[in-house]
Amino acid sequence: MSETKFEPKIIAFLCNWCTYAGADLAGTGRKEYQANVRIIKLPCTGGIDPLFLIKAFERGADGILVSGCHPGDCHYNSGNYHARRRWNVFRPLLEFCGINPERIQFSWISAAEGGKWVETINGVVDAVRALGPFEGYQKLNTMGPDISGEAATSGETG
Amino acid sequence: MEKLLNKNSFDSLITGLKKQGYKTIAPKKDNKLVTLEEIQDANEISLDHVITNNSIKEFFFPKTEKILSYTIEKNKVEMEEPEGFAVKSVIFGSRPCDAFSLPVMDKVFNWDCSDKFWVERREAITIVTVACDKCDSYCFCTSVGLAPDAKQGSDVLLTKISNDEYLVETVTEKGENLVKELESVFSDPPSGTPDRQVATVEKKFEIDKVKPWLDDNFQHNVWDEFSYKCIGCGACTFVCPTCHCFDIVDECTMTKGDRVKNWDGCQFTMFTMHTSGHNPRSTQGMRWRQRIMHKFKYYVEKFDSTLCVGCGRCSRVCPADMNISEMLEIIATEENQPVSKE
Amino acid sequence: MIEELRKKAEELLRSDTVKVVFGYGEGSTPERTRPVFITKPEDVNKLTWNKYCVYNLTTYLKRQETRKLGKPAIIVKGCDAKTIIVLLKECQIKREDVYVLGVTCDGVGEPLATKCKACDVNTPRIYDDLVGEKIENKEIPFDERYAELDEYEKLSEKEKWDFWQKQFAKCIKCYACSSICPLCFCDRCIVDKNQPQWIDPSAHPRGNLSWNVTRAYHLAGRCINCEECQRVCPVDIPLNLLNKKLAKETEKNFKYRSGYNIDDELAMSTYKEEDNQDFFK
Ligand code: SF4
Ligand code: SF4
Ligand code: SF4
Ligand code: SF4
Ligand code: SF4
Repeated sequence: MSETKFEPKIIAFLCNWCTYAGADLAGTGRKEYQANVRIIKLPCTGGIDPLFLIKAFERGADGILVSGCHPGDCHYNSGNYHARRRWNVFRPLLEFCGINPERIQFSWISAAEGGKWVETINGVVDAVRALGPFEGYQKLNTMGPDISGEAATSGETG
Repeated sequence: MEKLLNKNSFDSLITGLKKQGYKTIAPKKDNKLVTLEEIQDANEISLDHVITNNSIKEFFFPKTEKILSYTIEKNKVEMEEPEGFAVKSVIFGSRPCDAFSLPVMDKVFNWDCSDKFWVERREAITIVTVACDKCDSYCFCTSVGLAPDAKQGSDVLLTKISNDEYLVETVTEKGENLVKELESVFSDPPSGTPDRQVATVEKKFEIDKVKPWLDDNFQHNVWDEFSYKCIGCGACTFVCPTCHCFDIVDECTMTKGDRVKNWDGCQFTMFTMHTSGHNPRSTQGMRWRQRIMHKFKYYVEKFDSTLCVGCGRCSRVCPADMNISEMLEIIATEENQPVSKE
Repeated sequence: MIEELRKKAEELLRSDTVKVVFGYGEGSTPERTRPVFITKPEDVNKLTWNKYCVYNLTTYLKRQETRKLGKPAIIVKGCDAKTIIVLLKECQIKREDVYVLGVTCDGVGEPLATKCKACDVNTPRIYDDLVGEKIENKEIPFDERYAELDEYEKLSEKEKWDFWQKQFAKCIKCYACSSICPLCFCDRCIVDKNQPQWIDPSAHPRGNLSWNVTRAYHLAGRCINCEECQRVCPVDIPLNLLNKKLAKETEKNFKYRSGYNIDDELAMSTYKEEDNQDFFK
């Protein structure tokens, strides 16, 4: 088999008003960034349920970025503050279960920060590429329902 | 056929089984619990417990199981049925109540259609039971027509006759073949009558009195009053060797998926919930009644067998201390009946 | 103390202050008690109190069957009483709809339950009436309260993953953990929703991970550490480690402890501008 370079799959959950617009700006400004990211646009980071992240991993994501408006700039006033509270506890929970926190990243990127978007997403892609594929989780997916417990524990995490 | 098995030979027994291509499942102690699970080595076996935490059913009817996979393409659906789910195995050290649950469940899994997952595993697995030399206050096998050294459902029965010796009795042809395959592990049975060490399980109620009462008392205060403390968690149905309800779900994306069969239980609120939102079993009392009725009336009517082997697991595990034999005592003892009929 | 409890219960029922008393009664074995629901004053002798009274009876405040019995007096230990505070804050009960019969407590379970080893609520922080000798509630430092977590937090990433995968693999998806939880009160749990199916209903590793993580997370900043989920789990998964981890993060980040002060804003439904955001880019 020929060696193919691992290309991580990154899912980015972006708020409609700031980061999505920022990413758009990067596009219209013809700024290049790595094409590993699939963007999911949502009204507000405050509406992102942690289950979205779990689902993304279940469907094969190697890394996730959640990004929204800077504090004080939320289109709905406080959605991003509520989101921040959530990630403050959810991230350590995943870490406690053995998931590398580098695989879930957060940022504030405004509609004017096309450059920051490029920088951030490149950073996430590079970090996750260095970690390698999220084999631990992907194994859970491919084992199917009829496997017994032991098999699950022998996998590498990432 | 009768033989003798010495504890010292457990090692060669397990190695022998492996050589003959069997997977071995036996009680194993882990932290607080003794669980039936696959073992590799004889020293993993634990036999000084009353009963394992899990029942034998999961080796025939697992908690979750893929029954088919499919892919959807334009104008085409491909389906694939799982294979290789029936693995030649021996369950060593199950209890007589667990073993008896198998012929009881054969009836339902072979009823209007035969469930190949159950049937093929039944063929592939040999049951070597160890008679109980102790019991606890939750055991009530003797009240449902069984005994701590009952043979029904086992292929081979071992009974302790001294600190390190077991009398080996083959019950079925399958059991006899197994013992023959591993001949060298066993020795000749002792002459004379061996001192069988079997627990004495107190009889708690007369099973004959249960069904007639149930026939008459679908409406009764006792259902609600007994089950106020029940939290509807369903743990009782999951640990029960004879509960066999399941739910079928598709786990899928737009293009492919698995159809999966999962344990389900009548103690859950959602069990009978209709799409409309109406729930014919709307209170826990009704759901508890279903559990008792199914086990001691409906199944008896349909299959001429009680759907309970008296293992007591449901009561041991119940977070609210709902005790099934206590309920049956109430039912079977007229003067004990605490509440009047409405 | 049992006598005092029975007398109180009898008074409450006779005076029609309450319709039912949720309490502890004798169980299947001497090492067990069970919840009892006393509706008649002459039945109060069924009430008992001993070190096996582990249940958090506030869970019966969410069940429609026991709600129908009418206004309850509910026997609560210090840890259970924290639930009352959360339920009030979350608008699940009204203060006048329950009579809180607090008991002082110096530990339950045999061996002693983990929660009791670092208990700082031996005397309940909310009650209408208190039974038992008042015990001075200790101040226990942060590190000591979460000491149980140390050995797990120290593990490497792979060790953590392997540990939890082994634990979650045991899960049979009976949902006893959420059924018993007094704070899991949704009419319809997310696992019972299937359009879309957020959490796989199957008890396979993928479904078990998303279930266990979600259950824990839905109690973030809410769990009051009664350890009931862990007690009832039929396959002995140390669920409370997850709850405790979340409690620790909530306290560390938001200075909030669930069920301690009725005047505190609920951690997860409020925010502060200066909340931690070290990990944001
Ligand atoms: S009887 Fe016990 S184990 Fe069964 S559903 Fe009720 S509380 Fe759960
Ligand atoms: S109903 Fe209870 S006692 Fe009877 S077989 Fe099932 S678990 Fe055992
Ligand atoms: S008792 Fe309930 S869960 Fe068990 S087999 Fe009968 S209906 Fe199913
Ligand atoms: S945590 Fe405290 S109040 Fe609760 S049971 Fe233990 S000692 Fe009693
Ligand atoms: S109680 Fe235990 S086995 Fe049951 S669903 Fe919860 S974690 Fe799983």
